[in-house]
Amino acid sequence: MKGLIKLLSNNPKALFGCSILFIFIFMAVFAPLITGHVPDKRTGKPHEYPGAIVKMAQASPDGWVAQNLADDKRKMLMSKKADHVLGTTRMGRDVWAQVAYGARVSLAVGFGAGIVVCFLATVVGISAGYFGGRVDDILSAAMNIMLVIPQYPLLFVLAAFIGEAGPLTIALIIGMTSWAWGARVIRAQTMSLREKEFVKAAEVLGESRIRIIFIEILPNLISIVGASFIGSVSYAIVTEATISFLGLGDPGTISWGIMLYNVQTSSAILIGAWWELLAPCLALSTLAIGLSMLNFAVDEIANPQLRSNKGMKRWEKMAKKDKESRTPHTAVPSFAGVKDLAGGEK
Amino acid sequence: MGFFLRRLSFYFIALLFAATLNFIIPRAMPGDPVTMMFANATTQVTPERIAAMKELLGFVDGPLYEQFFIYIKSVLSWELGTSVQFYPLSVNSVLGNAFGWSLFLAGSAVLLSFTLGSVLGIFAAWRRGSKFDTIFSPGMLAVQSVPQVVIAMILMFTFAIGLGWFPTGNAYTPGLTPDWTSWTFLKDVAYHAVLPLIAASIVQVGGFLINMRNNMINLLAEDYITMAKGKGLSENRVVFNYAARNAMLPSVTALSMALGMAIGGQMIVEIIFNYPGLGTVLLNAINARDYQVLQGQLLVMTLFMLFFNLLADMLYVVLDPRLRKGA
Repeated sequence: MKGLIKLLSNNPKALFGCSILFIFIFMAVFAPLITGHVPDKRTGKPHEYPGAIVKMAQASPDGWVAQNLADDKRKMLMSKKADHVLGTTRMGRDVWAQVAYGARVSLAVGFGAGIVVCFLATVVGISAGYFGGRVDDILSAAMNIMLVIPQYPLLFVLAAFIGEAGPLTIALIIGMTSWAWGARVIRAQTMSLREKEFVKAAEVLGESRIRIIFIEILPNLISIVGASFIGSVSYAIVTEATISFLGLGDPGTISWGIMLYNVQTSSAILIGAWWELLAPCLALSTLAIGLSMLNFAVDEIANPQLRSNKGMKRWEKMAKKDKESRTPHTAVPSFAGVKDLAGGEK
Repeated sequence: MGFFLRRLSFYFIALLFAATLNFIIPRAMPGDPVTMMFANATTQVTPERIAAMKELLGFVDGPLYEQFFIYIKSVLSWELGTSVQFYPLSVNSVLGNAFGWSLFLAGSAVLLSFTLGSVLGIFAAWRRGSKFDTIFSPGMLAVQSVPQVVIAMILMFTFAIGLGWFPTGNAYTPGLTPDWTSWTFLKDVAYHAVLPLIAASIVQVGGFLINMRNNMINLLAEDYITMAKGKGLSENRVVFNYAARNAMLPSVTALSMALGMAIGGQMIVEIIFNYPGLGTVLLNAINARDYQVLQGQLLVMTLFMLFFNLLADMLYVVLDPRLRKGA
């Protein structure tokens, strides 16, 4: 725990990313406590202004806020109680409550898909990298094929055929279709680990393959698996929002994507209900940026020994950065990452 | 040459796999596609009509393997069937039309973000550690992680609906006859493409920037750069002719991959701006349960990805002599 705090305080990116993630987790878990309204019932008049805006406009009727942000007299009258933090939707539902409860769906889909992706990527990657030969040929072909099939159209078509896909289904299909990149990175790393002395030693000692994989190899892959997990979580959150936004999700759930879908279908932007659009947009972008910061931080923190290995552009970029800051004269351009992208098969 | 043969055979297998996926998805879902298509039809549906429709759409009866062979045959001979939604039109012509617009948007978006990203990356590398570098490089990466839905919606809300500077949809003013030689038409197309273009390219700049910056930083430590500086060459010449030229190489190959990705990635932008590209066609096909178009769409997009992957493979070999021996 102490180590973690020290780590976070040394790395502003990690601190930033972690804080954002924890704020959203907090929001999701304690959603009923931080908002007095329920997200899926009418609790106010249609399109009420956000509370703070109403208060400001009431305080100075001629001020900038009243002139530009809250310029509709009728709406002002309707929202004079100012008890909706982020205003209401066209259906009179509380936007803040929807954001808070929507965090549950987004995080659940994100982590759910992240776990599926990580599990598949790790199993496929380690098997391909460790067993090699025929196993590797088949699994690598599967990875490469998954990589060239366009993700979004496949996801949309799958979601469309399933019809009104719930969050769980969405998490599953995202997980099933996006493991290939992680698997490829893990495979490359496993291949280089397999040649290390400590693995050879374990093999000579007659350890079982299962034990070698779990005790010798897997712990050394934790940082990559972690980075791939964070990346997948962020990808899944954005993708879920996109699928729901297109109306391919279950319209009964409360999620940020569904909020955007409602904005689109109720033509809230034509009416000028900017808060209804801005709330889910801000929530999505903040979480996505936070997660990507966390991802960079994981890259920076992770084991420096792994840096020069092939097929890992990320690590290479990092290594380049570090090399440059430490010994500026020994940097040699390395095309390992490029070669791996081009070659595909070994 | 062996290298290319191997890649080509891999791409062929990938294509077959995508076609198989296309074959399986509609058949694995509950209910058969044709019946589902008629589910919300208002007219009376007779078994004859269903049978006729099935035949028209190429859903042959018979054992699965037979259906599969007929399907693969039609894919390989590029007969993708007829669209239900735009009835007399074939899937080929529906997709062909949309494909042009998608390619136009994806191509210009990738070129724009590549140019912008590379130039900014060169500056960030040359003045590394400066304010520009410390703010811009992570800043663009943060922008990159903002979902495209969000960017497109906000652009749409602010500039198209709020300020009314740009149109809210279509690739050109409806009613105008497409005439690629007339200046007014071209201007109209450009005007309609501004917002979708910004939305599609802004998320890609960060990747190109970081790529370029890291390559540049690597190269700037090379002896020949020191030599060039020592000769007293102007800063511009050292940066652009000596360093940037070589740092470009990995980026150029990344460019071709990016093009392949872009056409699938920008679908959401097309949908939000109602741009008549593949994304819009896909959503309409989904809503109209136009299965033939859906299947064709996935196939066309896969082909496109494969083509640009192949191009990237070739570029690696052409541009970097060091790879020629290895391959």
